[in-house]
Amino acid sequence: MPESKPLPERVHIWRDELMLILSLIVFVGIVYAIDGAFQPVFTTSTLLLTGIFLAIVPAAIWLVFFYNQDRLEPEPKHFVLGVFGLGALLAAAIGVPLVEDVYRVSHWLYTDTVTTILGGILVVGFTQEFLKYAAVRYSIYHSDEFDEPTDGVIYATAAGLGYATVLNIQFVVSNGGVDLGTGVIRMAVVALAQAAFSGITGYFMGRAKFESEQIWWMPLGITLAAVANGLFNWLRGRVVQGSLSVTGASVNPWLGLALAAFVALAVTGVVLWLVRRGIRSTQAAK
Amino acid sequence: MATVKSSVSMGDRFAEITVIILTVLALLIGWLFKSSVENRAFNFEAGGISAQAPSGWLQAKTEGDEVMHVTDLSSSGFGTTYILRKIPVTTDTNASEVVTQLTLEHGQNLTAFRVLNQHEVTVYGQPAYEVNYVFVESDPNLAHASLPSVVLGTDYIFVKDDQAVVATYWAEETNFESDLNRFHLFLESLRF
Repeated sequence: MPESKPLPERVHIWRDELMLILSLIVFVGIVYAIDGAFQPVFTTSTLLLTGIFLAIVPAAIWLVFFYNQDRLEPEPKHFVLGVFGLGALLAAAIGVPLVEDVYRVSHWLYTDTVTTILGGILVVGFTQEFLKYAAVRYSIYHSDEFDEPTDGVIYATAAGLGYATVLNIQFVVSNGGVDLGTGVIRMAVVALAQAAFSGITGYFMGRAKFESEQIWWMPLGITLAAVANGLFNWLRGRVVQGSLSVTGASVNPWLGLALAAFVALAVTGVVLWLVRRGIRSTQAAK
Repeated sequence: MATVKSSVSMGDRFAEITVIILTVLALLIGWLFKSSVENRAFNFEAGGISAQAPSGWLQAKTEGDEVMHVTDLSSSGFGTTYILRKIPVTTDTNASEVVTQLTLEHGQNLTAFRVLNQHEVTVYGQPAYEVNYVFVESDPNLAHASLPSVVLGTDYIFVKDDQAVVATYWAEETNFESDLNRFHLFLESLRF
């Protein structure tokens, strides 16, 4: 027999997401300013270590806010960390090798606009969104701790930040370190985007568990997240690339960060509004 | 008061399976799409030789007896390169003599050049001679701090009437196998 209990509404999740976005922008600004003011010189190993540290920071910021805010409505910390680790593990073991080595996207994805969008959705988008979905679905989803629709957003965000951390570490390692200024912007962009698209999947998972949705509901969620993922990567390439002229290409990574922050805010806002509306309409029906 | 479902319904199971099927389908279509993009080609024709060359690759200025020289700039490290050469020969020249000449040229022009093996083959119905070799390519820009690349190369030498056509494939060691299928399509389209 299914048991019954009230569906609580967590308001701090919205603050966590907002603080993640704001903190990342502040963090990027600080690192960029330090890089510009002091122009630190690194050896290969310290550059690599610094890059790896920067790659971990976005996830650490979110976890700090989450831990602080979650005291009144606690979510088991080891589950959140576990899903974060699972997202990272799936990215390192399947996602990155599949996209980079099997599909070798760097060889063909950026040929033209249609290819970038379609390939970005079909290969990169579906791979990433499915693995983040799997990190939640095959761990916490059937647990009693996944006891409210908002949990879908929390755990999916944790999985997305785990995935983003591996993407950023892989970027640092494959380049033997990163330029601090542009590197930290890229890492913030990846973290914001992965967290935002995970939120879409998380919303659909939350509703799939607590409301009797149709069979197409969850596939629709993964598809929407994959489409958003593919479109964002194309759009980011467009805005960052800037213009080509006889003096060379102009690249403005700040525009990429602005776009990522806007997308993260917009997606998070819509997802959280939908979750709240869902909870209220369910409670009103009782 | 809202209820919480604690059990896994059949609908959940079907939705889970549908997500997996959808992802597999997307990746399969993605693979077909990737293949179609990688195999896009343009009609190349010069000096009585025609082929379907990869589109989107950089067409370098030809030198000496080269009729085509294209490079994939998206390759990691050394850019995968196809070269077509047309060498005039006498009617009694055989492929092994052309191979000797090419080996001497490569030895002079390519750093640490070594022939790995050579043998007669049939390439899409055409008799040819295949030479596999290796050399090292380093960035000529001394300010660019990068390790030299180990490049694997294959020459197919076709001797017909008074000309030898040489189709060359160069790729970084790590990309050689994965880029080889694309070169075979190029070879299949070769007409002279």
